[in-house]
Amino acid sequence: MSPHIGNVSYLLSLLTTGLTSGALYAFVALAIVLVYKTTTHINLAQGEMAALGAFIVLALTRYGVNVWLALVISMALSFGLGAGIERGLIRPLERRGIFPVVLATLALFLVINAVMAIIWGTQPVPAPAPLPNGLDAKIDILAGPPPFFLTYRALGTYVILLAVLAGLWLLLERTKLGLGYRAVAANREAAQVLGIPVGRMQMLGWGIAAALGTVAAVLVAETVNTLDFNVMGSILIFGLAAATLGGFDSVPGAAVGGLVLGMIVTFVPGLFTVIEGDLGLIIALAVVLVVLLVRPQGFFGTKPLERV
Amino acid sequence: MTGTDPLLRVAGLHAAYRSVKVLHGLDLEVRRGEVVVLLGANGAGKTTTLRALCGMVDTQGSVLLDGVELVGRSTEWIVRQGIAHVPQGRGIFGVLTVEENMRAGAWGRRDAKGVDADIERWYGVFPRLAERRRQRAGGMSGGEQQMLAVARALMARPKLLLLDEPSLGLAQIVTRGLFRQLEEINRDEGMSMLIVEQNAELALSFAHRGYVIESGHIVLGGQAADIRADEGMRRAYLGY
Ligand SMILES: Nc1ncnc2c1ncn2[C@@H]1O[C@H](COP(=O)(O)OP(=O)(O)OP(=O)(O)O)[C@@H](O)[C@H]1O
Ligand SMILES: [Mg+2]
Repeated sequence: MSPHIGNVSYLLSLLTTGLTSGALYAFVALAIVLVYKTTTHINLAQGEMAALGAFIVLALTRYGVNVWLALVISMALSFGLGAGIERGLIRPLERRGIFPVVLATLALFLVINAVMAIIWGTQPVPAPAPLPNGLDAKIDILAGPPPFFLTYRALGTYVILLAVLAGLWLLLERTKLGLGYRAVAANREAAQVLGIPVGRMQMLGWGIAAALGTVAAVLVAETVNTLDFNVMGSILIFGLAAATLGGFDSVPGAAVGGLVLGMIVTFVPGLFTVIEGDLGLIIALAVVLVVLLVRPQGFFGTKPLERV
Repeated sequence: MTGTDPLLRVAGLHAAYRSVKVLHGLDLEVRRGEVVVLLGANGAGKTTTLRALCGMVDTQGSVLLDGVELVGRSTEWIVRQGIAHVPQGRGIFGVLTVEENMRAGAWGRRDAKGVDADIERWYGVFPRLAERRRQRAGGMSGGEQQMLAVARALMARPKLLLLDEPSLGLAQIVTRGLFRQLEEINRDEGMSMLIVEQNAELALSFAHRGYVIESGHIVLGGQAADIRADEGMRRAYLGY
């Protein structure tokens, strides 16, 4: 047991820490889900594509581009890359079954990883920092001990997550493009016979996923202050766990799954001090397993509703 | 009224799933305003025929819709030429609302006002759908889902409606109601239809003409009334 277990200030600190890492898992989970919904593929290279996006942000800022503008440009490039990979690599393989696609995303993982190592080296470099990151970039709330404060970085992360969710909701629920995307996700063949361009909806999913991944990688790198070619290595597993928790085909599910997972991996080691390091991950995965035993479709997954 | 002017003219249609050949040179025709039924045993190739018309399987031969060749084109393009397809098993978007399903059916249209008007028009024909417009389509009964599938297909304002076993899984009385509505749509809108149906008796009573397909060949074609009246044909091909 942690000696602070009854300390409000300490518990609130755990809460904000959990929400912050949860938001990062949520971004990765959203990317995975957006690809999965229309293609039923899992892009194993999602994390590496995201890291590449973060390096592009870094490269642009080195040319003197404002970091936010660099982020937007990199998101646009990532969108194009994601859509292009779907069109040029994944779709031709899709007809041959699921394994060629899985292998292709694995190959993509290795290739992008190697390319980043060749171009930017294997040593960590200072991360691009769109959010205020100084020691005093925070709002003090409780004196403690331990003190409880909200960093601008944490607040910025929450705001970005909310903005992304609102944007996705508008796009998916309020536009014709979104209707087409959801129709393809719900029943691909039926969408095809209505003349909905299935391929373009798959590209859309891959594109948005890649753009979101770039946001995730930039925020992850900022958390650890450095960027290196393996920055997204472990977080992809958390993203997958969060997506599973949320139901794998649900956008709100991915967000909730990410936040819940963030809480678990923060609170469990935070309250029970005997648990250290990677044990947190193991416990998180155990919780995911238990949830799936009780609710195989996750929090928000759609069990097929169609009656035959 | 039906004209003699062919809306759909299929000649020497071959279709295959990869290397498995399923259709071996079909010829058939649907005239403007006509209801044509395609009958045949399980596995005869009825569904494949409809899928071939929509470019959803590998196809050879000729399919002319209003004189425009469809073979070799994408499904998306063919749908824009005016073919709407209600697939076997309905293909409803279960997690979308009834109204979203309807709007998805109008995907290729640019006239927002016309789409809204058509939604209301088909709600008028199928009042059950109007009551459930904001509900998830997957929660509706089989008959309601079939109505939705038909209404959704009509949202594209097609020249030709393809229906694959609309009676599948429906109670007799629901099937009869559905066919009555299809009959009205044919009569009032002049909508041409090609219907695949297991319930031969019912389909022939409503169609103008019929074809019987066996192992990927058309073995019989003629006026629906003649097929119905000929006991030998019924015994040999339709099993009743
Ligand atoms: N996706 C597919 N891949 C390979 N073969 C298929 C496929 N779909 C159908 N077939 C084969 O094509 C033949 C015709 O099938 P089709 O579905 O057109 O029959 P049908 O007349 O519609 O039958 P039913 O009355 O059972 O619906 C069958 O032998 C079937 O096994
Ligand atoms: Mg069939």
